[in-house]
Amino acid sequence: MLELDNVSVRFGGLTAVDSVTLSIASNDVIGLVGSNGAGKTTLFNAISGLVRPTSGAIRFEGRDVMATPMYQRARLGIGRTFQIPQPMHELTVRENLIVAQRFGTGKVDHQKIDEILDFTSLTAKANRDAASELALTELKALEVAKALATDPKLLLLDEVLAGLETTGKRRFMGMLKDLHAKFGVGIVMIEHDIETISNLCPRVAVLNFGQLIADGTPDAVFRDPAVIKSYTGAADA
Amino acid sequence: MTELILQALYSGLLQGGSYALIALGLALVFGTMKIINLAHGELVLLAAYIAYSVESGLGLGPMFAIPIALVIVSLTSVGVYYIVSRIKKDREINSLILTYGIGVILTNFILLVWKADIRSTSSSWLQEGFEIGPFFSMRSEVIFFGVSLVLMAALWRWLATSWYGRAVRAVSSNRDAAKLMGIDPGRTEMVSFLVAGILAAFAGVALFSYGVIQPAYGGALTVKAFIITVLAGIGSIPGVLIAAVLLGVAEALTVTLASSALQELSGMVLFLLVLFIMPNGLFGAVRRRG
Amino acid sequence: MKSSSLISTIGLLLAAYVAVPLLLGSNQYVMSMVVAALIIGGVALSWALLGNLGGMVSFGHAAFFGVGAYVSALTTVKLGLPVFAAMLLGGVGATISAVIMLPVLRLRGPYFALAILAYAHIFRIVATEWSSLTGGSGGVANIPTLPTVFGVDLASKTGAYLVVLTLVVCCALAYSRIRSSHYGIALRAMHDSEDATRVVGVNSTLLKGAMLLVSAFMAGLFGAFNAHYINFLEPDYAFNSLWVTLPIVAAIFGGYRTILGPVLGAVVVYLVDQLIFKSLIPTGHQLVLGVLLVAMIVFSPNGLLPLLQKWLKKALGKEKKHA
Repeated sequence: MLELDNVSVRFGGLTAVDSVTLSIASNDVIGLVGSNGAGKTTLFNAISGLVRPTSGAIRFEGRDVMATPMYQRARLGIGRTFQIPQPMHELTVRENLIVAQRFGTGKVDHQKIDEILDFTSLTAKANRDAASELALTELKALEVAKALATDPKLLLLDEVLAGLETTGKRRFMGMLKDLHAKFGVGIVMIEHDIETISNLCPRVAVLNFGQLIADGTPDAVFRDPAVIKSYTGAADA
Repeated sequence: MTELILQALYSGLLQGGSYALIALGLALVFGTMKIINLAHGELVLLAAYIAYSVESGLGLGPMFAIPIALVIVSLTSVGVYYIVSRIKKDREINSLILTYGIGVILTNFILLVWKADIRSTSSSWLQEGFEIGPFFSMRSEVIFFGVSLVLMAALWRWLATSWYGRAVRAVSSNRDAAKLMGIDPGRTEMVSFLVAGILAAFAGVALFSYGVIQPAYGGALTVKAFIITVLAGIGSIPGVLIAAVLLGVAEALTVTLASSALQELSGMVLFLLVLFIMPNGLFGAVRRRG
Repeated sequence: MKSSSLISTIGLLLAAYVAVPLLLGSNQYVMSMVVAALIIGGVALSWALLGNLGGMVSFGHAAFFGVGAYVSALTTVKLGLPVFAAMLLGGVGATISAVIMLPVLRLRGPYFALAILAYAHIFRIVATEWSSLTGGSGGVANIPTLPTVFGVDLASKTGAYLVVLTLVVCCALAYSRIRSSHYGIALRAMHDSEDATRVVGVNSTLLKGAMLLVSAFMAGLFGAFNAHYINFLEPDYAFNSLWVTLPIVAAIFGGYRTILGPVLGAVVVYLVDQLIFKSLIPTGHQLVLGVLLVAMIVFSPNGLLPLLQKWLKKALGKEKKHA
């Protein structure tokens, strides 16, 4: 469904993403890991259209989306959450979803919106102001809800669990587990916790200094000497 | 033909020096507070009218008006600062409308006090022709070009070495970090308005000496200053001079080669060109795109 | 619409269409000022629309006003088009001039505001220089007046009043429709969180551009109306900064976040300016407008009329408690 072909993103002298080639199928649930600054968010930015790669090709469902603007990629089916939640200001939670659905799919289906609100445990806060009346867990839930409202085929989750305390985290993990099953959407999730990733994702990709150094099952990947080295910085694993 | 063009270049250069003086105050405040003082042109005009009053009332040349203009205009400028600092939210946009309103107040105040007639200096010494080689200009133009250069050098040095000057640079660059280092941004911003007022005072007296003034000119001066600030980009004083000279030359060439009616047009077109093609200005380092 | 606001809207419309002509129709002086106030109100409305929905403050609405005026005037004078058709064309002309300005949308606040101003200056200079088309600085004279329709002479003060009132009502309605539509919701979100909207499929650039075009059309319409109302046009008048200042003061005074605020603000500000300030300070009476603007930004950026509303409500509420 999504093909990254030798994608590189350079900012001046800094290479954030270095010749990454990756294939994502529609029923994949992939964990994307790597130490801070490894290029994970930049890769998401490239896929969703926030930044333009300096070289390489990105194909979504067979078509080249390198020149496709961000709002169009959302309509094509690439959904994305931001690491620091970015709710739509001056709107209620429900209005956030209405806008996402209306512009991401072309029409408004209130039943579907209620479903999504229920799935992300936001029904109680549906009429609250999104930017000022939500707790962190709820803001993160809204990020996911917004993306789901656009009826995506591919969902990019950027550290949705970061900053959450234990109960919130557990609830979220339950939600993430059901995400693929309930909405039939391909998922790539950036997380730091290796245990979480191993739990949720049958496939893991590792980035280190912008390069893809491993791609396989959690077991295989986390035993890979190169991966261990990238985490511990040990001269020999 | 080449003679005409060279003369236009020379006139444009001199004019650019004076334009730079007009623009510097605006550029300084913009750099420090990231707000545009739309009343800046009126401050310059106020100084020009003060020079007129000194000349017509006391019979003294514009040079003698400088101390009075300095006091009045810089105080007014600080006054503008205090009003602007009262804005509670959406400072970027509200300050625009606010300073626009102050501009309207000042323009009409000038209209009330000095009436609508066009004025200019009656000092023949200043208006006398002054030749350097084959190039011709008014004596006042050359004098104030020199004054501009001196003031710009002084400003540059002040920003580089004095305590307040460096504080101004710090606040321009990163307000919060400056606060953490013990710099009071409010004080510093007031200082930048004060200095802008000083520069405006000189610019206004100069304007009266080589040009004509009319109450309605305030707005046009502000626009010119803004065009130069945009052209120069943020954070560069030599940039302001070069941008001002560019504008001066563009205008002079337009007048010589096309028609004098299109003089203002050249500035506008230059402005739009820069915004679209070089959004950071010639020498600037700031993001202008939203 | 809630029944209470529906009733007040109908009441307001009745008062405007029926009561005002009946009560004030014979006083030509007052009527002409009301018409002028409504023209300014219309421009103020278009300015507020751009600010509220588009999130952009413009200092150059005189550009649209002037272009609308010239297009309408010239198409009637040179091509003999009927007045109302020409007025619509005036709006279209203003919209086209806004299309030229679309690249400016990428710019942040102050740059946008002043870039639009630059366009206004350019248009004025073009109108002055292209004398073969526009009559140059001499302007265009003998512009056809509003026609007589169904026996009502629309060129009379009362007739013109009814026309401009209808224009204001139509524009207010359009504004309201856009604001409550899905586009309006997305536009609201775009002010502070444009990326958040783009990532869910909102073509924010297109929406902002559309708002600029709508705002331009409205301002152009009123410029066109004005041309046929005073039957004379010249560049310094059509593109005068007064068409910038007065609408801004009116919109902020009346509360630019509401739809009718700018219109009510225009009526109050203009009438007070013409009736009181002008007689106190004949030259430079706009000084008071400047003071008003400054005071409002500092003390009540949401407008004075909304503030008055709040005080009234509090005062009435207190009375009810005592009774």
